[in-house]
Amino acid sequence: MLKWIGAVVVLLILAVVIGLSVMAGSLRGAYGMVRYAFPHMHRGTLRVGDDAPDASLLALDGSSRFHIRERTGARPLVIVFGSYT
Amino acid sequence: MQIYKDYKDHADFLTVYVREAHPTDEWQMNSNVKEDVCYAQPKTLEQRVAIANDFVKRFNYPTPFGIDDMSNAANDAYAAWPERIYIIDEKGRIAYRGGMGPFNYHPEEARAWLASRYGEVKREASTAVPDKKNN
Repeated sequence: MLKWIGAVVVLLILAVVIGLSVMAGSLRGAYGMVRYAFPHMHRGTLRVGDDAPDASLLALDGSSRFHIRERTGARPLVIVFGSYT
Repeated sequence: MQIYKDYKDHADFLTVYVREAHPTDEWQMNSNVKEDVCYAQPKTLEQRVAIANDFVKRFNYPTPFGIDDMSNAANDAYAAWPERIYIIDEKGRIAYRGGMGPFNYHPEEARAWLASRYGEVKREASTAVPDKKNN
């Protein structure tokens, strides 16, 4: 019985590794996804109709600051979050 | 950035730089090596500013731009990483909440929201495929 349970566990682990490798493009990518991406990926709790959170942002000049809230009110504000890589 | 060009007369836009998704010292992608987009994860706000400026200059990126603090306050408030789009209405409420990138990142949904309000803007076929830099 223990032998079968062990085999199933091994197969499940193998399936997860293969699945992640397919998603990430390689075994190395799967490791990167688990090690570096998963800890920072959050579904979040914001819903349509919620008050938009405010946050202070630094401008490209590296010194001046503004708040997201300063950019709202007159017209809809489309916010695109992302990075270079 | 086609959506900006098409709707900048109706809506405001803001791009917010958050922590890197595929830096050299974490989960680097081969595509970034090919495109010479190789940066380590910034450890200081100055490093974030430098990378954000490189991005804007390389793509002549047109929209207003902000950089998240090292505390990742904006990122945490909006569950933004690695990429996500929101639309905030005139009352300061979330009107559209995009999915988490890359798999659920769909700029065409934000475009559809704008189109439902302001009408569809016809695009050239070459600009019809949305991605991070041309949505």
